[in-house]
Amino acid sequence: MEPVKRKPRAKPKPRAPRAPKKSASVIVSAPPAPPTTPVLRERNEEVDDFGYDPAYDARMTPFFDFLYERYFRVECRGIVNVPTDGRCMLVANHSGTIPFDGPMLRTAVKREHPGKRDVRWLAEDFVFHFPFLGSFETRIGAVRACQENAERLLRHETLVAVFPEGTKGIGKLFRERYKLQRFGRNGFVRLALRTQAPIVPVAIIGAEETNPMLMRLEALAKPFGIPYFPVTATFPLLGPLGLLPAPTKWRIIFGEPIPMDKHHPEREGDETLVARIAERVRDAIQSMIDAALRERKSVIFG
Amino acid sequence: MAVLKPKRKDPNGKLEPTARDPAALQEARVVVAVTGASSFLGQNLIASFEEDPAIDRVVAIDIKQPASGKKTRFYEVDLTQTAAEARLAEIFAAERVGTLVHLAFQASPSHATAYAHELESVGTMHVLVGARHGRLRKVVMASSTLLYGAHPSNPNFLGEHQPLRATKRESFFTNKIEAEAELARFVERSPETVVTVLRTAPILGPTVSSFLTKFLSQRVIMTMMGFDPLVQFIHELDAIAAFKLAVDRDAPGTFNICADGVLPISTAIRLAGRISLPVPHPIAEPLGTALWMAQLTPAPSTFLPYLRFLCVADGARAKDVMGFRPAFTTREALLDFARAERLREVKLLSEVY
Repeated sequence: MEPVKRKPRAKPKPRAPRAPKKSASVIVSAPPAPPTTPVLRERNEEVDDFGYDPAYDARMTPFFDFLYERYFRVECRGIVNVPTDGRCMLVANHSGTIPFDGPMLRTAVKREHPGKRDVRWLAEDFVFHFPFLGSFETRIGAVRACQENAERLLRHETLVAVFPEGTKGIGKLFRERYKLQRFGRNGFVRLALRTQAPIVPVAIIGAEETNPMLMRLEALAKPFGIPYFPVTATFPLLGPLGLLPAPTKWRIIFGEPIPMDKHHPEREGDETLVARIAERVRDAIQSMIDAALRERKSVIFG
Repeated sequence: MAVLKPKRKDPNGKLEPTARDPAALQEARVVVAVTGASSFLGQNLIASFEEDPAIDRVVAIDIKQPASGKKTRFYEVDLTQTAAEARLAEIFAAERVGTLVHLAFQASPSHATAYAHELESVGTMHVLVGARHGRLRKVVMASSTLLYGAHPSNPNFLGEHQPLRATKRESFFTNKIEAEAELARFVERSPETVVTVLRTAPILGPTVSSFLTKFLSQRVIMTMMGFDPLVQFIHELDAIAAFKLAVDRDAPGTFNICADGVLPISTAIRLAGRISLPVPHPIAEPLGTALWMAQLTPAPSTFLPYLRFLCVADGARAKDVMGFRPAFTTREALLDFARAERLREVKLLSEVY
């Protein structure tokens, strides 16, 4: 008992998790610790409905901060276009073979936004088929992309990041860079109409060059359970090391929000309206990309 | 005058209890029949009926006599026999049964798959034929959220409208899916009967026993390397309360009965005080089959997807329509189970069932 008594005084930072663990295993009928205190270990004790683990995420934050600040030197513009509260949908272009754009977009909003809002981004299905990757992404806040999940998030007034290009976006070849692919089935527009969530178009520049894909091997994709098997300048030549992203200079640009409240929620079935809004979002993203590319002098230095 | 019962607590008063229905008052007797009466849910439900003054008599149907009080009358009926249809119709008519709670399902996967099929799939057919002849007012049936199946393409919260996609290779699931299909046909043919299906999440608690409690009481638990799906439970008291609520109120339809909150399975195993042994999933499949054949695991390898992928249900409909409020969260249900388990290990708590 002595060390347990001494500890809280001696330590400036109390490491609470240790003490309850000991007592719980010794005293059989110990009353349960209140759910807010971590009982056994600090890792993933409390997760939210979608499996986001704040404790785990806090440990990963320095890594993403390093990527954001030093590695990709992300320049963030137009953050004022992201509303300070309420539901909202960030619609961005998707690129980079290994998609870092989800976590970077989230880091950008978390660091630059005055409200320090948290972003939940929707990840492709194949991520969740994969060992380690799926559970890692879930813990840091990714959610499987489907209508039900996105609707639930928006109804809880969350900021949701969507990449409507999906795997076509990250799986495009280097020569197709910065050309927006087809927007799935425009499900994101129907969702925005249904939930009356404004759409903020987002352009991410720099991610395309992190792992420039030269070739897709379709024959190898299936056995690995992935949508494409990438061949880049360094992968699979250098093995897994070849998947390290190039230190390109990134820009994340938030465009003017497109409000949905002037349309009735029931108009989600109106295909012409849905297509028109999708086209408007697409034009907004493409023109932001094109403008930023004209301005850019160097891939690495910006 | 048992009918003029004291006012019962009605959390939001959306639906009137049956016993106050004019039709029910006219009959003047509320008789509830329970098939699978000796099961965990059956025994506990009968105990709560015994205490409820609004219920006049309980008809317990099983092959084994449940522990019960003086309101309960036991009938030994083997649902796997074809004669069960006529027998049940007779019992329902003679006892003037109004409500049937159909709980004759196995809580754990069994090696005797032929019997399980006869009991669950064919047995449900027999029960429902009997119910149609007996002109029951209400049928409540137990089902499971596991029937949705664990798939990487599942939304994080499965609604009641989602298809039941549990693997066809496991009779534990297919029998129950067939039973639900049987009930759907019954709904079509007898529209005047109120039919409620309660799909409960895996039940945990201090006294319940199933493949899940056996799984969580293994010292070392096999998990799938690199996968940490979210899991969801329901406390045994909440599960019993949900069935009681479905008997007391008329809420036709299918409802997911699940606790609030989810836990990653790794956390669940740690909270239960167990050690997880991650195994690569291609190896786990043959290993699981071998262990099941040697009767060393509580569940066959067809349950392994639940260790890899999501199968979490959305309980919103039960809250909104039926007024069901679970008292325990997933975490609390698990901790309650783990505490009782610890007492059992040091022989301070003996097995009740």
